[in-house]
Amino acid sequence: MSKAKNGGLKTATMIRNSDHDFLTRVKESEQDTFAQRAVAKAQDAQWIKRESARRDLGNWEDWRNLGEQIRQHVVRYLPDYLEEFSDNVEKNGGHVFFAQTDVEAQQFIKNLAIEKQVKQVVKSKSMVTSEIGLDKALLEIPGLDLLETDLAEFILQEDDWDEPTHLVFPALHKNRDQVREVFIKKLGYEGDNDPQHLARFARKVMRERFLKNEMSITGCNFAIADNGMINLDTNEGNADLCMAIPKIQVVCMGMERIVPSLKEAEVLDGMLARSAVGQKITTYCTFTSKQVDGETDGPEEFYVVIIDNGRSNALGTDFEPILQCIRCASCLNVCPIYRHIGGHGYGSIYPGPVGSILSPVLQGNYDDFSELPYACSLCSACTATCPVKIPLHKLLIKHREIEMDDKHMANIIDDTVMKVVGLGTGHSSLFRTALGMDHMALAPLARKNPDVAENLYSNGKHLEWMPFVFGGWTKVRDLPDPPAHSKNFRSWFAKHKKEQAKQGGLEAAVPQAPKNSNAFRPTGEPVLRADGYHQNGHPITEAHAHAKSQTKAPSRVGHHAASLAGENVPAGSHIDGDDIAKAAAQQEGTRNHD
Amino acid sequence: MTDRETFLNHLAEQSGRPRHQLKDNPLVPINDLPESTLSGKTQDELLAIAKENSEKVNVTFQTTSKADLPQALNAFIKAKLTDNKDDPYQANGHDHLLLPSSDLYKDFDLEGWRDGLTDPKPTYWMPGAGRDANIDTAERAGAAIAFADFLLAESGTITITTTPGQGRAFHFLPVHYLSIIRKSNILPRTRQAMDYYAPALASGEIKTSNINFVTGPSNTGDIEMVLVVGVHGPLDMTYLVVEDM
Amino acid sequence: MRVVIFSTCVVDLMFPNVGKAMVEVLERFGCETFMPLQQICCGQPTYNSGYIKETKHVMRNEVDALLSVDADYIVGPAGSCVNMLKELPHDLKDDPEYAAKAQQVADKTYEFSQFMYRILGVLDAGAELDAVATYHRSCHMTRLLGERTSPFVLLDHVKGLKMIPLPHIENCCGFGGMFSMKEPEISKQMVNEKVNDIISTDASVLISCDPGCLMNIGGRFNRLGKPMKIMHLAEVLNTNVDLARVKYVESQEEVMA
Repeated sequence: MSKAKNGGLKTATMIRNSDHDFLTRVKESEQDTFAQRAVAKAQDAQWIKRESARRDLGNWEDWRNLGEQIRQHVVRYLPDYLEEFSDNVEKNGGHVFFAQTDVEAQQFIKNLAIEKQVKQVVKSKSMVTSEIGLDKALLEIPGLDLLETDLAEFILQEDDWDEPTHLVFPALHKNRDQVREVFIKKLGYEGDNDPQHLARFARKVMRERFLKNEMSITGCNFAIADNGMINLDTNEGNADLCMAIPKIQVVCMGMERIVPSLKEAEVLDGMLARSAVGQKITTYCTFTSKQVDGETDGPEEFYVVIIDNGRSNALGTDFEPILQCIRCASCLNVCPIYRHIGGHGYGSIYPGPVGSILSPVLQGNYDDFSELPYACSLCSACTATCPVKIPLHKLLIKHREIEMDDKHMANIIDDTVMKVVGLGTGHSSLFRTALGMDHMALAPLARKNPDVAENLYSNGKHLEWMPFVFGGWTKVRDLPDPPAHSKNFRSWFAKHKKEQAKQGGLEAAVPQAPKNSNAFRPTGEPVLRADGYHQNGHPITEAHAHAKSQTKAPSRVGHHAASLAGENVPAGSHIDGDDIAKAAAQQEGTRNHD
Repeated sequence: MTDRETFLNHLAEQSGRPRHQLKDNPLVPINDLPESTLSGKTQDELLAIAKENSEKVNVTFQTTSKADLPQALNAFIKAKLTDNKDDPYQANGHDHLLLPSSDLYKDFDLEGWRDGLTDPKPTYWMPGAGRDANIDTAERAGAAIAFADFLLAESGTITITTTPGQGRAFHFLPVHYLSIIRKSNILPRTRQAMDYYAPALASGEIKTSNINFVTGPSNTGDIEMVLVVGVHGPLDMTYLVVEDM
Repeated sequence: MRVVIFSTCVVDLMFPNVGKAMVEVLERFGCETFMPLQQICCGQPTYNSGYIKETKHVMRNEVDALLSVDADYIVGPAGSCVNMLKELPHDLKDDPEYAAKAQQVADKTYEFSQFMYRILGVLDAGAELDAVATYHRSCHMTRLLGERTSPFVLLDHVKGLKMIPLPHIENCCGFGGMFSMKEPEISKQMVNEKVNDIISTDASVLISCDPGCLMNIGGRFNRLGKPMKIMHLAEVLNTNVDLARVKYVESQEEVMA
C-alpha cells in the first residue's frame, strides 16, 4: 500500500493458494462446470433465503446503519478495545498473545502443542488459521493428529487438503459423488451418495476423535471486550464439541473481530446469520471463556492469539472500512464474477469482493494479487448487500487508482490508450474533432456481415475487431460501427433545432402536468438499498424474480435451479428444495418490497 | 510474541489516532431497533411466535401445565428410548437417559418424578464426577432432558448457562434432547437475553464460563447445499414450555 | 420547462436513435431542450479504471458544459452516467471552484425514465408497441442511482407490450465499462448467461435504460447470430404515439418509491 505509514510493514505471507496466473485460473474455473453450476445454484438459493430473512426482520437499512456504526466505532478505538479485552481474558484466568505476523502466531501455537505434548488436536472452521498456515505447521509435529470438524473442512482435509472455495461453504465445488469417493478411499465408507448418509458417517468418524481430543483450536466471530468472552457461531455444533471436551483451548482471532459488549455481539450475530445463510441466528451461538470453578468440562487452559498479519496496513488509509467486515460472505453470494470464476479463480484464501480488497491489503503490495481489483464489473451488488456497509466497489476502484499511480502495472499501450481516452473525453474540441472525423480510421474494420441484433447498429455495420485494449471488446461481441458525422446525434439535434425555429419554436403536444417535484429527491450520495423492483404495477422482490426463474428459465443456470425446485426430496432430511418452494410461495403477493 | 504495548502502539501509529480516547467517546447506538423490534407483546403472543419460529427450525414444540409435566417427560422418554429400541444409536450404546444435577427440579415439582424413574434408570451429570466421567455419561445418552434459561420468540432459540450440574457437553453429545422452559421466561429477542446476562455476569450473580444459544437441532448444508439435520449435536430437539410458570 | 440534454459519449458516438427518441419524447411533454456542445463524457471510463487524477478535468469540463445553459433540469439517457453526475459533489468536494457547481449539477440531474415518471408525472406516454419484451436492469441505475421502479411503470402502460420478467435480473450483464475489454474471458461468461436468460423469456425485444449494457448484450447476440431487437426505453416510448392515451400520475402519494 502506498499509503501505509511505516513502522515496518507487517505483511501476510501465506494467503496465496494457487501458483497459476490469473487467466489460467479463470480458464480452469470455466472448465469446472460442476463448480460453476454449484456456485450459481448457491447464489440463487441465497438470494431467496437472505432477502427473506432481512425482510422478515424489517427496517433492514436501519439495521445496516447500526451494524456499520458498531464496526466503525470498534475499528476506530481498536487499541483501546483490545486492551480491555485482553485484561478481561487474563482476569478470567486466560492468556492473551499478540502476533504481528502469521509466522509469529503459527510458531506460538505450534510450540504450545509441543510443550503440552498433545497428540490429538481438533479444529473448528476458522479463516484466520488458514491465513497463518496453522494446519501445515501442526502436522510437522511427529505423531500429531489434526482434525478439521466443520463438515466441509473435514471433506477438504480428507481430500488431501483441497483448497476451500467459499468463506461459508468451503466445499461448494464438490458434489456428493466426489465426497463419497473421498470417504470410500480415505475412511472406508461403504454407503451411497445421499448427503444425509455421508453426513451421518462423518458424524461417527468425528465423534470418536472429539472424545480423544486434547487441544481445541477455534476461531472467533466476535471477542467481547467488556467480559473477555469469545463468541462463536456455527450450525453444526462442532465448535462447541471442540471446546467442551479437552483441557486446552486456543482461540485464533483476527485483531478486528471485537465488539464492546454482549449487546453489540447480539446485534451482529443476527445480521451475520441473516446475511450469510438467511437464518435469524446460527443454530449454535456461543459465548465462552475459561472454565470456572465447579464446572467439569470446558478448557482449563484458555489461550487467545490476537493476530494482525497485515490488517494494520488498512488503518488510517482509505481501506480502513474493510476491517468492518464480519465475514458473512454475502458479497460472494451476489458477485457475478465469483459466480463465474468461483473461489479458486481468485488465488487467495479470501475470494470474492472482500478477498479482492483484503488480499492486497494483508499482503501490503500487489505482487500476487494485481489482477484482482480489475476482476470486477463495478456492478456494486456487493456494496448494496454488505450488512455493515463497506463501500466494496469503491475500494476496488481505490486499489486501481493506487496500482495506476504507483505501480505502473498496466500494459504500457493500454495505459497510453486510457490516458488518451482521458484526454479525449476531457477536451471538447478534441472530442468534437473525433466526432467529425467520420471515423475514417475504423472504416476498413467495419464488417457487413448481417446484423442479427436489430436496431443496434445505426448505419448497418458492426466491428468484429479492434486494436489495443478495445480488442477485449471485439473478442466477445460486435461493436457498432459509429455513425458518420452527418448521421450522429449532434448533427440531428442541430438540424432539428433549425427546423423547430423555422416553425416558430416548440409546441408541446400535451399540456404539462403539475410539477411533481417532491416525488424523488436523490442526493449526491449513492442510494443503496436491499433489492426489489416493480413490474406490472406491483412491487416484486428479486427473490420473486428468482422463484420465477427457477420454474421457467431453461438456461444453463436456470435449468439447474429449476431442477432444484422440483428435486425429489426424501421427507425429513433434505428440505432445501422445499425451502425454496416455500420461500417462493411466500413471495407471491408480497406487496412490501425492500 | 509481540509485546502488547508494541502491538497496540503500532495500531495507534498506523491509524494516526492516539490511544485511550474511548472513555470520552463511548458507543451511543444510532437507533433502538434491538430493543424495539418485536416489543410490546404479551406473554401469550410471545408463546405463539416462539412456537411458530421453533417449528420453522425443526423443533418439536410442546406445552404443558406444571401438573402434567411428568407425564409429558415420560412420553418423551418412551418415544425416544423405551419404544425406540431399533434406533441404530441405541444399538451402538447410546441408550441412557441423561439428567442434570440441579435445584430446579424442586421449582418444577419434579423431585418425585425424578426419584421414581426406573425404565430406564437415569444417569446424571455430576458436579464432582470429573471431566472424563461426565463426558462418558453424556456420550452414552440416547436422550437428555435439560433446563433452559430463556426461550427467544423471534428465532426459536433456547439459552442455556453452563453450570457444575449441567455441563457443556450435556447439550451436544446426547442423540435426542428435550429442554424445559417456563412460559414466563419467553423473551422477544436475543437483546432481552443480553439485558439479563450482561449485568448478571458483571455482578457475579451468575458464574459461568459458557452460555449457549441453541436454535433447533444441529444441521449442515455442506454437501451440495442440501440441508441435513443432525450433524455433530442432537439429531432432534423438543422444547417443552410449562404454561403456568 | 428548460431541460439540458446530457447526451453521454456512448449516445454521441454510437446511438443517434436513442438521443433523438429522448429529445422527441421530452419535447412532446413540454420540455424545451438544449444541447451544450462542449459536453463530452461523465468520466467513468477513466475514473473506474483508476485514473482518478486524469479524470478530474473531464468532470470539470462536464460540469461547465451542463451548467452553460440556464435550465431547470439535466436529463440523460443512461442510468450509469447519470449516477456519475450524482456522485460528482463527492468526487469534487475538495475542489473549491467546482464543489458547489458539482452540487448544482447533481441536484437537477435525472435519468430519462425517472424524469418522466417522477418529475413530469407521466404514467402512460401514449406509446404502442405490439411485442413481447423483457427489461434488463442496469446495476448502476438500480443500486447506485436507486431507481428501480420508473422504467417498469412506464413500460406497464405501453399499449400492446407484454413484459416478461427477466430471470436473474439482479446479475450484471458483464459490461462494466472497461471491464468488458480488460477481462473479456470473465465478461463473456457473464454476457452468455444474460443472453441465455433473455432467450428463456421468449421475448423478441430487449429493453433497457443503459445504452452501454445494450451495446454489450446486443453485440453478443449479434456475434452469436441470435436475433433480438434492441431498444432503449426512450425509443419504446416514442413508438406509435397516440396523444389520446397519455395519462399522468394523479397524486404525489401514488408515486412508488
